[in-house]
Amino acid sequence: MNTYLQFAAIKFRNNMAYRFEYVMGILSTLLSFVVYWSIYRALYGTEEVVDGVTFSMVATNFIISLGLNNAFAKNEMFLQDKIKQGTIANELLKPVNFKLRMLFEDFGEGLFRVIFNFLPTVIIAMFFAELQAPSGTLNMMLCIISAILGYIVLWLISFIVQSWSFWLFSVWGLITIKNVFVNILAGAFIPMWFMPAWLRDFIKFTPFDSIYFTPVQIYLGELNGYEIVINFARQIFWILILYALSELFWRRGIKKLVVQGG
Amino acid sequence: MKDTISLFFAYAKLGLKTRFQYKVDTIVTSFAVFFRESAGIIAMYLALLKFDTINNWNIDELIFLFSLIFITYGIFIVFFMALRDFSDWIKHGDFDRVMLRPRGLLTQLLLCGADWMAAFGHGTLGVLLFLFSANRVGIEWNFATALYYIVIVISGVLIQGAIFLIFSSISIYVVETQSLKELFYWNMRKFAIYPLSIYNKFIQSILIFVIPFAFVNYFPAQFFLRKDDMSAYPEFFMYLSPIVGTVLYVIAYAFWKFSLRYYKSTGN
Amino acid sequence: MSQTIIDVRNICKTFKIHKRGTGFKGAVSNVFHPRYEYKKAVNDISFNIREGEMVGFIGPNGAGKSTTVKMLSGILYPDSGSINVAGYIPHRQRKQYVANIGVVFGQKSQISWDLSPLDSYELIRHIYKIPPTLYKQNLERFTELLDMGGFINQPVRQLSLGQRMRADIAASLLHSPKIVFFDEPTIGIDVVGKDKIRKFIKTLNQTDNITMIFTTHDMQDIEKTCDRLIIIDDGKKLYDGSLEGVKRNYVSSRIIEVELEDSHTEFDIPNVTISDANNSKMKKIISFDAEKVSINYVMSELINNHSVRDISIKEPEIDAIIRDIYEGRIVMR
Repeated sequence: MNTYLQFAAIKFRNNMAYRFEYVMGILSTLLSFVVYWSIYRALYGTEEVVDGVTFSMVATNFIISLGLNNAFAKNEMFLQDKIKQGTIANELLKPVNFKLRMLFEDFGEGLFRVIFNFLPTVIIAMFFAELQAPSGTLNMMLCIISAILGYIVLWLISFIVQSWSFWLFSVWGLITIKNVFVNILAGAFIPMWFMPAWLRDFIKFTPFDSIYFTPVQIYLGELNGYEIVINFARQIFWILILYALSELFWRRGIKKLVVQGG
Repeated sequence: MKDTISLFFAYAKLGLKTRFQYKVDTIVTSFAVFFRESAGIIAMYLALLKFDTINNWNIDELIFLFSLIFITYGIFIVFFMALRDFSDWIKHGDFDRVMLRPRGLLTQLLLCGADWMAAFGHGTLGVLLFLFSANRVGIEWNFATALYYIVIVISGVLIQGAIFLIFSSISIYVVETQSLKELFYWNMRKFAIYPLSIYNKFIQSILIFVIPFAFVNYFPAQFFLRKDDMSAYPEFFMYLSPIVGTVLYVIAYAFWKFSLRYYKSTGN
Repeated sequence: MSQTIIDVRNICKTFKIHKRGTGFKGAVSNVFHPRYEYKKAVNDISFNIREGEMVGFIGPNGAGKSTTVKMLSGILYPDSGSINVAGYIPHRQRKQYVANIGVVFGQKSQISWDLSPLDSYELIRHIYKIPPTLYKQNLERFTELLDMGGFINQPVRQLSLGQRMRADIAASLLHSPKIVFFDEPTIGIDVVGKDKIRKFIKTLNQTDNITMIFTTHDMQDIEKTCDRLIIIDDGKKLYDGSLEGVKRNYVSSRIIEVELEDSHTEFDIPNVTISDANNSKMKKIISFDAEKVSINYVMSELINNHSVRDISIKEPEIDAIIRDIYEGRIVMR
């Protein structure tokens, strides 16, 4: 475990080296938020509550889901580059689990961006947007845990799509398509509350609402103790399913690589 | 002129030939671009199922507004890819090669490279949105309106082209301009997709006076749609796009010409 | 005597280099107090080249030879001085001027990676507006001379480096330029490939009277092709003349190789350095400065005092001389 934490730490430190890009990154996240904030301000018009959802809930939903969406963005061509350049073979020879290492590195980077991109964005947004405070210390902590679980769900989906690099010329297209699904179905571009009923029913059977919507709901205090447990269980359920799938693709891919000699 | 067109086709033939060595990838990538750009529209469509209109714009009118952004970008990227990626052209020494050929520099840059996948993705989306909405928003199509539509599409391409020509000129001095493009083009474009009137005055001013995206889609669309939120702006803004496009492009071109002599050729 | 085609007078070029600090502190100070350094890449260089000449430009990395070639080809503006090539001022009349020149970059291909050379040639025909008959004639000729028949229709990514370079050279010649610049055309290519390229260049120079400028690190390129050599270092012209002239004028060191009857001979000749030859104990290498010690003296010392089986006078290799020139061991006068 210690080794993997080291990977996270190194990635974290490397990121300190950049600076200008980070200012731009914060601005970029902030501007995405402003676009959706403005859209919903206009949609709400003079109303403050629509279907029991207050405007500040919408704003809070956007800052969390759009903000985390930006913070969790990473280089999704990583695996493809490794495979196409043939350096994946070297990685497999190292005495660490490549997948775990990749997860921890990405997590280190994600954590960095949450602290240095997401949090400043939230602070700046508070000056002009009415955001809700967390619904209690315990809920805040549960929200963080649930966001981490959400991150793992997102990461595994990305990994599965990336592992198609073993078979395809380029996975850029697939990744882009996957991101559209995430952006819409996970509620980064439209709050879950306002989706048509049929779509919400559909999403319940997918891992997408485990990514951002579960932490958002916990943060807002929308869920009672029992519901929180159920939602955690769903997140873990999806992690297990997606993990199994990712292992399947990964092993098949490696096998193909070995058989064909890269 | 004839010569220029034939050069464009010679470049295009080669570019497409290259791309179609990877047929499946080209198709998947084009579709991915199409789909990525649709995401905001899908989200808007879903939201309007609930809210019906945004500042009195219904979904058909919004789609007409969206179509202008995508059609102009689809055309823009056929001509301006080299300028979009101009930092890389300098870094990799490709611009040196351009200078060694007996044709105008900008002529070569404009004709030589199209991002066909972006062109297909954005272009198809734009055209589909236009076809979907053109008859549903109550526009009376006749020679005059059709002509004006063509004029504003060209203006929209020119405005975006001018913005990138300015970025490229800046690249001559500082090479790397990624963050500038990110801030002043891509982020502004996020705003420009939706009706200008939903933003606060500060953002509106930027989109009108600094990075005049408002003249790419919002004001031209108002010429056709005459929504009541137009009352907040001078009426002549609806006719201003061709002038904004031309003036901005002339300024950008002058800056480009001026900057060229400072080219340092950092290639290799 | 043929006419002057390239006339370069007192050109200078200074680059402003942004000095970047490192670490967080450096990054911050970059934004607020950018620091610049000025580097004189080319410092008052002048020369003339006559039509049909073949001139090698050499110098260590960063000596200013690339900058000079870039100014000659119209890519860069000189800060001061004047350049006239074939009646044009390159950077001012770029469009008209570059129709007359061809440029081959060894490190930067102008033919498309995913397409065949022929595809790229078709595009070049359009760009240069090459008349169809001339295009056909040149294409056939270069295909034959450069032995490209076997791969002209294959995607470039499948070609060897040597083949790619040949295809690239042909690309730069299709419009029948009067002057051709070669920037390290043989870099990374194997011996056979290099030889093909050199032979082709030489042939073309002789038959078509094309003026050629050659920058390279490989002295063999120069020895096999060029009549004239310009050495540049630190932005200044160090030498301009024939290859032989370098040896004659600037190198007074001589080497004598002797083979002796007896390996245990002790030498006692002042001002010479003696070392063992690496292949035989009987052989000694004696090097000295011909200005300080006369060859006659060393030779007679050897023959009179030792039993010599064989003796020969060697000139140092051009490579070694050039290296000495760069490193300042040989002072140019």
